[in-house]
Amino acid sequence: MWQKSKPYLLLLPATGAIVLLFFGGLFDGMLKSLGYFPAIAERQLHLTAYTELLSSDSFWESLSLTLRVAAISSLLAGIVGGMLAIALFMMNQSAKVKESRLLQRLFQLPLTIPHLVAGYVIVLLFMQSGLFSKFLATVGIIDQITDFPVLVNDPFGWGIILAYTWKEVPFVLLMVYPLLARIRDSWRDVSRVYGAGNLSFIREIALPIMMPSWIIAVFIVFVFTFSAFEIPFLLGVTYPSMLPVYSFQLYMSGTLADRPEALAVNIILALMTIVLGLIAYYFSKRWNVTKGWQ
Amino acid sequence: MNGLRIEQIEKKYMTAETDQKESFTLEPIDLAIREGEFVSLLGPSGCGKTTLLKLTAGLLQPDAGKIRFGNKDITRMPPEARRFSMVFQEPLLFPHMTIGDNVSFGLKMQKVAKKERQFEATRMLEVVGLAGYESRFPEELSGGQQQRAALARALVAKPRVLLMDEPFSALDPGLREEMRELLSGIQRELGVTVLFVTHDREEAFEMSDRIGIMSDGRLLQVGTPTELYEQPASTKVASFLGLKNIIKGNIKAGHFASEDGGIEFHTDKTVIDGTQFLILRPEVVLPVTSSRKPPNDSVHLKGKVTKLKFKQGSYIAQILAGNQQLECLLSREEAEKLEPEKIIELYVNQNELQFVEH
Repeated sequence: MWQKSKPYLLLLPATGAIVLLFFGGLFDGMLKSLGYFPAIAERQLHLTAYTELLSSDSFWESLSLTLRVAAISSLLAGIVGGMLAIALFMMNQSAKVKESRLLQRLFQLPLTIPHLVAGYVIVLLFMQSGLFSKFLATVGIIDQITDFPVLVNDPFGWGIILAYTWKEVPFVLLMVYPLLARIRDSWRDVSRVYGAGNLSFIREIALPIMMPSWIIAVFIVFVFTFSAFEIPFLLGVTYPSMLPVYSFQLYMSGTLADRPEALAVNIILALMTIVLGLIAYYFSKRWNVTKGWQ
Repeated sequence: MNGLRIEQIEKKYMTAETDQKESFTLEPIDLAIREGEFVSLLGPSGCGKTTLLKLTAGLLQPDAGKIRFGNKDITRMPPEARRFSMVFQEPLLFPHMTIGDNVSFGLKMQKVAKKERQFEATRMLEVVGLAGYESRFPEELSGGQQQRAALARALVAKPRVLLMDEPFSALDPGLREEMRELLSGIQRELGVTVLFVTHDREEAFEMSDRIGIMSDGRLLQVGTPTELYEQPASTKVASFLGLKNIIKGNIKAGHFASEDGGIEFHTDKTVIDGTQFLILRPEVVLPVTSSRKPPNDSVHLKGKVTKLKFKQGSYIAQILAGNQQLECLLSREEAEKLEPEKIIELYVNQNELQFVEH
């Protein structure tokens, strides 16, 4: 009996901490978003925070910005990461193994950099008084640094998109490349003998094999970007702000009455993440082309 | 003629560390394969058979020489443009595609319409005995079935030449036999040109119109199975074909004497004086019996039976003649009259003597 239950008992402290912090926090947040806030003598459950939130323009503008930024940055990271993975794979196939490994390490460098630092890198490089605008002005491509497009703290969110794309490309690469690396060299020979050039090989073999991992990677990037705080806080504008920043602004507005609304934003974010997760799971299952691939 | 011609093809592999030393060299090779012919390359592992096959497929580039199909030089033509098919040692089916899609892959690359390629794939799967397997995935098939599907994939593309790299070596003996029969039947029916690589003598002899014997990067001899077996050009070819009776000796004015002096005889054959190797196939070394009298000009040998081995319906007798161990193929009746240590008389007809210089 002891032998059987020992592993579970040993895992109990860690499991307890995770469950308490994750579900406890979520549950507490949900209660407060439903108006249960004993600190301000509110003990009734109601949907006021949600109805006010859903009828406010700020929320919808924030949601629209958040979806746009998350979709564009995850798609860009997915496309660039996928292309790099295929490029590295094809280099490997053409016996340029050393170069491929070196580039792979280089591409993975941004993984080691914290998001906050990545935000500052974008500020330093892409703001109007940043390195790129100064360089372009020096070489005469633009007359003044103010001619450089506003990419940081812009209403569209280009700065945030750039930061996330740069930061998440290596993540997509990390998720996708190992799967491509499992493609056997002899498959390339087989496909060539049967008439497949490089493009056909990528379309018929490499892409279907990497697709399930790619979808999951892009989804993870999307969900992360969708609910991340520090880069939108650093590179975004005050209005409209992305949902996590909007929630933070509400929470820190100084009045406790706004807090249920702030927490309602978080609950909506969590619900949307779950729905997106289920959609991604459905597609990854459906496109699980590597089923039975030993 | 839409045959395949390999002319003075050469390939060198360098050692990885220095790229200076040659680790393997495929010596200049010439080989012509007629349209519809089944030619096998037979040789031990590492002799360069697969290299020659890959050079033919275009998967490797030769250092020198030419490959022609018909009158066209295809040496630098990429493999995808050659319209050849290849079956490898392993099935190498794509795991993410159904069997139907795997089989029609070549047709898809040839831009054949979906309906037509589905029809062709279904038809070819029927030919290889896999009717109804179109929608299954490779992992759902046994090893033998996967190799059948790989064969169907190769044949459905209507290749100008079908290249096969030891395709049945990973299968168990029963299945291998079945696949050989299947391939021979299909090859005869479709008239496809085949270049087949194997290290299995039986396989090569059973299926091929002609066989090329390879060793250490060289093509030693090309001929029909009968030619090779009855007239091997060298002791290496004879040894590889399983012939054991190879006797080194000297010929002077039509008189052969083995190196140890144990075997001597006069031969009518026109053979150059000097060191020669006598090759005797086991079935031409016959015991003298009351019912079988040797011709007057035959070569007579005397020896002691050292061992009798049963070999699928017949017997192999090992006989010590002088210092030479000879193998002699006997019927059951002949073998029953013998026992170890018995001295017997043997003879070989003059026309069965085969001399080679090396």
